[in-house]
Amino acid sequence: MTTISNKTAIAGYGATEFSKNSGRSELRLAVEATLGALADAGIDPSEVDGMSSFTMDNNSEQEIFRAIGGKDLKFFTRIPQGGGGTLGPVQQAAMAIITGIANVVVVYRAMNERSEYRFGQPMHSLPPTSDNVIFAYHGFAGLMTPAAMLGLMMRRYMHETGATSLDFANYAVLARKYASTNPNAFYYGKPITVEDHQTSRMVADPLRLLDCCQESDGGVALVIVSAERARDLRQKPVYIRAAAQGSPKGTVSLGGFYKDNVWPFDECAAAGRQLYAQSGLSPADLDAAIIYDHFGPTVFPGLEAYGFCAKGEAKDFVKDGHLEIGGKLPINMHGGQLGEAYIHGMNGVAEAVRQLRGSAVNQVPGVRNMLVTAGSGLPTSAAILGVD
Amino acid sequence: MTDASARGHNAPCSNRDFDFFYRGLEDERLLVQRCARCNQLRSLPSPGCESCGSLDWEPLPLAGEGEVYSYVTHYHPPLPGFAAPHPMALVTMDEGVRLLGAMDGTDPADVAIGRRVRVEFVRRENVAAFRFRNL
Ligand SMILES: [Zn+2]
Repeated sequence: MTTISNKTAIAGYGATEFSKNSGRSELRLAVEATLGALADAGIDPSEVDGMSSFTMDNNSEQEIFRAIGGKDLKFFTRIPQGGGGTLGPVQQAAMAIITGIANVVVVYRAMNERSEYRFGQPMHSLPPTSDNVIFAYHGFAGLMTPAAMLGLMMRRYMHETGATSLDFANYAVLARKYASTNPNAFYYGKPITVEDHQTSRMVADPLRLLDCCQESDGGVALVIVSAERARDLRQKPVYIRAAAQGSPKGTVSLGGFYKDNVWPFDECAAAGRQLYAQSGLSPADLDAAIIYDHFGPTVFPGLEAYGFCAKGEAKDFVKDGHLEIGGKLPINMHGGQLGEAYIHGMNGVAEAVRQLRGSAVNQVPGVRNMLVTAGSGLPTSAAILGVD
Repeated sequence: MTDASARGHNAPCSNRDFDFFYRGLEDERLLVQRCARCNQLRSLPSPGCESCGSLDWEPLPLAGEGEVYSYVTHYHPPLPGFAAPHPMALVTMDEGVRLLGAMDGTDPADVAIGRRVRVEFVRRENVAAFRFRNL
């Protein structure tokens, strides 16, 4: 185990409702989630001295800080890559606390993604930043949406592994099954069938509509403190056993088409190697996981990259029911981003906290250690969270 | 080059690392970079060589044929400049580099991994462009 392991903990989380139209500002969502997380932890807002988020978040640290009655903000930091960045701010918070730079760090993500803008639209790549000239180079061929970019990667995965759209249906159905019993989920009370999946329209062949995540308004926040402090607070501490970022050779943001393996895989494997080294745990030690599902089919190479099954075997692992409660690795029990909401993976971190506390609606019995991952097909991040 | 801009092309979002590629299309040439130190080819433009780190390179025209490595067909939402469904292919060119290209003008059902394709130069409004056709 390395220095980062088990030194810090998630002491609280907060979330707004998830919707298609929040009816209030993104800043208001961020503030509500932050205050919710602090109340959950039992920490006064005046104690917050660090904030960490995504570069894509539109809410500035100091404006949230003003709105919650903050006193002295010492540490603020942002992580790029959209949904690839989800666990980056968590890692930042842990490092800031371990080094003594900050004591109470709020990690937040809040957006009116559905009602004010939509990420699935063709990208307009200006100004010519180093990433935008690459998006434009690919956009030149007509590759302009994340669905098409991941679809191009997944087509090769299908070719090499024999996985089919029917295999992907198994995950699409499972995510909605979990969501159907989660009152916070878009698919609450609305399970789907394999036929629903197979007849849903193509978005970017091989990806169908029901392979795609939600588009959502909402906010989620976490409060991270030292492990020692967390043990004195009101909630069971959810320890950060490991937190890593991954961007190995050949990685391009949603465009890694020029390396040996074009699957959304290498960056996840790179993050996974660090997690297992940091924590001293192995995939067999993990009781459940949140696997990032911007597009459901990416869960398949994700399961392989993080070591739960061999390359190409996820289709059988999923078919055999191992993602269900009672299986080898239940995942995304909140319904994932296909079934619950799309808050750049932060709603998945919140679900991991509930599972580890034992308070989830679709509770996996006896969960002690969980993997949480971020978006794949671009520089990514991941964490292992656990309870004693 | 009838109406090409000061950069020598009209591609909408480029910089000095990418200009040579779009200028090449104005001359109906498909250019990639060849590292001047280690001779490694790279299609996605970059100022430096991923193999050896050299910043020196020269443009190399590709012969224009290759084999489909992966593909995707865009259906939704509507794309600026392309009708849907819009197939695209990631092609391993005979020189060994991969290149992403449009395959509009080809039935999506006729796009498949392993199929041989050849480049076709086209103009999209005032922009010099290319696409792949099945051989
Ligand atoms: Zn070189």
